[in-house]
Amino acid sequence: MDAQATGDPGGGQPWGPHNTVTVVDPSPVNWLSITWNTMEEANRVDHDGIGQPSLAESWRWLDGETLELKMRDAVYQDGEPFNASMFKLGFDKVQEWTNPHPPGAFLNFARDVTCEAVDDRTVRMRFPGGDSAALMKLRGMHLPSTRFWNEWGFVDPKTGSAEGHW
Amino acid sequence: MIDAPGPWGTGPFVLTEGVSLIDSRSDRVVMEPNPTYWNSARRPTVRIVYDNVIGKDEGIKSVAVGDGQVDVVFDLTPDEAKAFPASEHGKVQTKKAKAILTGVFNENRPDSPWRNPEARRALNLAIDRQFVLDEGAHGYGTVIPAFIQPGRYGADPVMKPIPHDPVAARAALDAAGLSGREIVFVASPAWKGVVDAVGACLARVGLSARFVSAKDEPPADFDVKIEWYFDWTPQYPVACVHREFFGKDATLRQGPEDPRFDALYEKLLHTAKEPQQEGVVREVERYIQDEAKALFLFSPFTLFAVSNRVDFVAYDTCMSELAETRIKG
Repeated sequence: MDAQATGDPGGGQPWGPHNTVTVVDPSPVNWLSITWNTMEEANRVDHDGIGQPSLAESWRWLDGETLELKMRDAVYQDGEPFNASMFKLGFDKVQEWTNPHPPGAFLNFARDVTCEAVDDRTVRMRFPGGDSAALMKLRGMHLPSTRFWNEWGFVDPKTGSAEGHW
Repeated sequence: MIDAPGPWGTGPFVLTEGVSLIDSRSDRVVMEPNPTYWNSARRPTVRIVYDNVIGKDEGIKSVAVGDGQVDVVFDLTPDEAKAFPASEHGKVQTKKAKAILTGVFNENRPDSPWRNPEARRALNLAIDRQFVLDEGAHGYGTVIPAFIQPGRYGADPVMKPIPHDPVAARAALDAAGLSGREIVFVASPAWKGVVDAVGACLARVGLSARFVSAKDEPPADFDVKIEWYFDWTPQYPVACVHREFFGKDATLRQGPEDPRFDALYEKLLHTAKEPQQEGVVREVERYIQDEAKALFLFSPFTLFAVSNRVDFVAYDTCMSELAETRIKG
């Protein structure tokens, strides 16, 4: 382990062994842990295994096919504000691919699902025929910044594709 | 997955160095606290360094001797946890995670005996699950009825594990033409102790067991493959776990598609309201137990080696989310 100070946490004391936790994680899904530690989604699962709001602070089914989500006031690490349009951008991006999620197609939204940013904080998703798995799927829909979409967009630089690389 | 470090997200940590992909990792991955994180209750106070060089064995030793190289090691096997020495520097930490250890019957061949639910049930009746857990996994786990732990979303409060009934097992095995057979188990070496304990149970009903490492090419005529799996979902276990074993797009299924399971899954997808949705999840649990769809074993704990200087908060999802982890004092 590098025991040397390597940075300055927001103007505080530099990083070193005294404020560093070193982890060995052999899990084959460590890549997903890195994503979930640094990016967020509409919802998450807490350490007790219970679903919780995350970038969406609340949601409700308006009818059997329409899910309305209220977005939280949050800021990206690069200073860009998060809002309903960023949620819609994330949805539009994931829908560009056939099978983007490494765990499998069960995380895909159907092709006829639509997403509308009603205002700065409100999103309405329409699921023709209904989809009780919607919130599970949203847990896998990462919501990175515009800069990430422009520079990487979950596209594997080795293949030029985001299939199986979300 | 993220192919480069950067301030890409809104999450509790900023990825400042390294990458972790499915097929490769940098020597280390560094995450620093996000000072503008919106959730003050989860705002980290420590930098995280994933050391992808030192390896699990050396990491466990480091925690035990307290040399400061490693603070937390994930995913210890039961044998590794049992062997962790008494130490003033660290300990084994357990978590009742949303995980299962179960046997998948090989139903690939049209003449497989395991296509017969009575044969599958007979093998289940032969298993003393608490014995298997205690002897094969040093007690690190909980015996559960099927795939969902009691008390979790979707658990049926009246369901019990399939009973251990060697007499009924022997009769049913005889009826299924399986008396005296050698049962071939494919499993990770981490679960060899479990297979040995299962073998001890099978010996009491006149069967024998042979362990084949999952690291090798399994023989086509293996009988049961032992699989560990986990549920990361927000209260939607059937899609993540049950579907992965039995669904038409399952990756762990070892046999033909099951239209009855698929119909139940479709029913679930179209049942959005509670409590009806949880009722369908319970229906799925009862179906897989009634049909003895798997060789049900137990829910293993996730096991960690943790330095005493760290207050480590493990997640039931088995993921290494670390926002709540702190250095003591």
